[in-house]
Amino acid sequence: MNRRTLLLAATSLTALPHLEALAQAGQGDPVRPLVLLTRPQAGAPAAYQAAELIAQEWRKLGLQVELRPMPNQAHSQVVWNERQRWDATMWQMVGRPERGDPDELVFNLFHSANIATGFNFVGYNNPEYDVLAQAQRVEMDQPRRQQIVRQVQELVNRDQPYAFLVHPVNLQAFNKQVFAEASAVNQAGLGIRNFWNWIGLTPTGRQRDIIVNSTEPVKATNPFYISGAPDSWVTDLVWDRMMRVGPDGLPRPWAAETVTQVDATTIDCVLRAGMTFHDGAPVTVDDVVFSFEAPGMGNESPMYRPFVQNIESVSATDARTVRFKLKNPDAAFRISVLAKLNIVSKATWAPVLADYQNRPQNLESYVEERPIGSGPYRFVRSRVNEEVVLEANPNHWAKPKADRWIMRIITNIEATLGAFRRGEINVIADYTGDPDLLKGMAQSQATMIAIREGVDIGFQFVGMNNRRPPFSDPAFRRAMSAAVNREMMAGAAWNGQAVPSNSLVSPALSAWHLPGIEGRVPGANLEGARRLLQEAGYRIVNGRLHYPPGVRETTPAFQ
Amino acid sequence: MKRVLGRLGHALFVLWAIASLTFLLFRLMPGDPTLNFLSESFSDEMRLALLNAFGLDKPLHEQYLLYMWSLLQGDFGVSFLQKRPVLDILLEALPNTAALTVSALVVAYAFGIIAGAYLAFARGTVVEGIAIPAALITRAAPEFWLGMILLAWLSFGLGIFPASGANVAGSEFTSEWARLTSADFLWHLVLPALTLALYLQGLPLLLMRATMLEVLNDEFIVMARMKGLSRWAIVMRHAARNALLPVATAFALGLGQSFGGNVVIETVFSWPGLGRVLVSAVQGADYPLAQGAFIMIAGVLVLMNMVADLLYAWLDPRVSVGAKR
Repeated sequence: MNRRTLLLAATSLTALPHLEALAQAGQGDPVRPLVLLTRPQAGAPAAYQAAELIAQEWRKLGLQVELRPMPNQAHSQVVWNERQRWDATMWQMVGRPERGDPDELVFNLFHSANIATGFNFVGYNNPEYDVLAQAQRVEMDQPRRQQIVRQVQELVNRDQPYAFLVHPVNLQAFNKQVFAEASAVNQAGLGIRNFWNWIGLTPTGRQRDIIVNSTEPVKATNPFYISGAPDSWVTDLVWDRMMRVGPDGLPRPWAAETVTQVDATTIDCVLRAGMTFHDGAPVTVDDVVFSFEAPGMGNESPMYRPFVQNIESVSATDARTVRFKLKNPDAAFRISVLAKLNIVSKATWAPVLADYQNRPQNLESYVEERPIGSGPYRFVRSRVNEEVVLEANPNHWAKPKADRWIMRIITNIEATLGAFRRGEINVIADYTGDPDLLKGMAQSQATMIAIREGVDIGFQFVGMNNRRPPFSDPAFRRAMSAAVNREMMAGAAWNGQAVPSNSLVSPALSAWHLPGIEGRVPGANLEGARRLLQEAGYRIVNGRLHYPPGVRETTPAFQ
Repeated sequence: MKRVLGRLGHALFVLWAIASLTFLLFRLMPGDPTLNFLSESFSDEMRLALLNAFGLDKPLHEQYLLYMWSLLQGDFGVSFLQKRPVLDILLEALPNTAALTVSALVVAYAFGIIAGAYLAFARGTVVEGIAIPAALITRAAPEFWLGMILLAWLSFGLGIFPASGANVAGSEFTSEWARLTSADFLWHLVLPALTLALYLQGLPLLLMRATMLEVLNDEFIVMARMKGLSRWAIVMRHAARNALLPVATAFALGLGQSFGGNVVIETVFSWPGLGRVLVSAVQGADYPLAQGAFIMIAGVLVLMNMVADLLYAWLDPRVSVGAKR
């Protein structure tokens, strides 16, 4: 060993105890303790357990993570109204028929126009994304639009504004001794809780009512008010719409016999002949025009107004044709407007509208003694927290096979199973209990119970606040997302009733989903997450993750 | 009369205090009710419009005055979520709650009084050794557990009683009275009322037994024995009548308390009563409905308190004589 090597070795030995300090001196500040918001365990047990798993993995990356359960109201208040304050939050998007078209989620969740007050509460801001989101909205050619929606998913995968977790798998059941099994209709992403099933389910014996459970009560039955999921199941059946989202997730003509795209901003709808409201009055083009004009008059229907804002004009061109002129081309118009707005009776609602325009309340406050629509079911009654009863409309061109559709509000999930077994209900469409219980019951009573499972349109995710460091750094977000073990989460937190997710477009929407994207999370796993952080300049010093060199921690911790 | 008026004034003061506290309580809760309407199309403009429609953009004192003025006129307002008058919603749920509460209390107190009187008499026997722990266990057991056991046994297992609701799905009735007196309704009522009665019977039973034991040592009972009266006559005509005083008070108070305290049983049996209206209103920050439900429940409680007070004075004149001094 020569003198030079000796000297080097001695220096190294002397410097060894200080190496960590030296490394720390060149490194950025330690990342502040991060807070992951979640709903309380009692309110959302699966999401809470998922949050625990996420916090556990993030801690392995040298982060200090606190799980903060908050009551629903307070949680929404912070996430929605105090957008600069929080770090990360558990959240979910639920599946709805109109989400069969990706536009609603693609545009609203991540377009920069919605950062300040809209649904882009994570503050994702990428001009490249905005261009794609706008392009898919105006692209009328289906294959080209599909291509753009897939590009959108690639971009979201690259930037990881959310860490997508899982798409729930709906578990539903019906009594096949009461209904012909082949008559049950599954809708992509919704399962048997869909319009087509309610009109198609065919009784085989004396029991001729569809009796379906709901864990939530119905709040209102009003064609100009969206007040909750069970409410929309009822309005769906009582009022007709120009189009309906079909079992395949694509829009199809309904009250409109034909829907013709005249040019990029003009759509003609020919109204089906012979339609009548439940009171016997005919459904006319004037009713249709009124139904699309009313939500835009003043602020009479704040929930529906956004859907008609792109309509320049709507007019009857002959006794059966209604022409929509749009301000801008809208590829999702059929699903998000024509399949969403209810056709109401002008004779009933025009005087109400005129009256409410002079009142402080709006149309949402008007309670029809007996709601009148033209849909396949007629409203009979609603008893608070107990049941809603509809009866088949014998004059409808798509008359339901069942006599009545009854929704029972059952708050206790064990009682739901008991009621199903006893025949008090014959369809379980809203099941949030242990999947093994229902599957076990189906196995033991195989001649009676038919089970249906399907991936939901909705998804569960961690929203990372893109405004606040370190989440403002896409590399950091990629690492956080990579650390999440989605397979384990689907099995442990959702009892196997979920599939891994990495996209805002569910695999249930096969026409739009980018196949294989769930297996392509950048970094892939915890090891990959460590590598991504290392490459981005983050270092673990004394067990804590530090920012890249030169980066100071200036963001206040969430209190 | 003066005493009745005094009690009435007292009750009105308590109701005012409850109404004011309820008003403040909901406004101090974090979050605003517009958050219930979150959807992709929800804009700030819509949120402000909703706040305006709910009257929540006004200063707090203005909201308070408006609220108290409406209450004085018997107007509970309109539910934020259901968009119907609060009173209509409450009155729809009230008969179900009243039927459940009254039937359970009657069963619980009838059983409690008889069993309590008997157990006082059977002091030191094997029956007492079994019955007292059994009464304590049913009183201490959580209502939801008791309810689930009864459901699993009598409904899911033996199939005797229905599993949920107050009526068979889709059943039609000519009037609300016809519904409440129908065999269908009463059949649905059995399990929830039995659960509540099992939970409630412990208090009258133990109270009756304790006061009976006290009364049985009184001089007038010794006198009755010396007169050679039968055991039955001593227990029922002399001892029980005197021991009933605290039980009568407990019954009136229990009636008031149970009106609002049935949330758990209503949830287990999906019983469409006031408790569930209150819970969903609180969860949804539906201020007018929650306030209305609270005030209605508090009103019943205050009224029953007053009734208990007056009943006690009527049953035992020593109370009013004491008050005059």
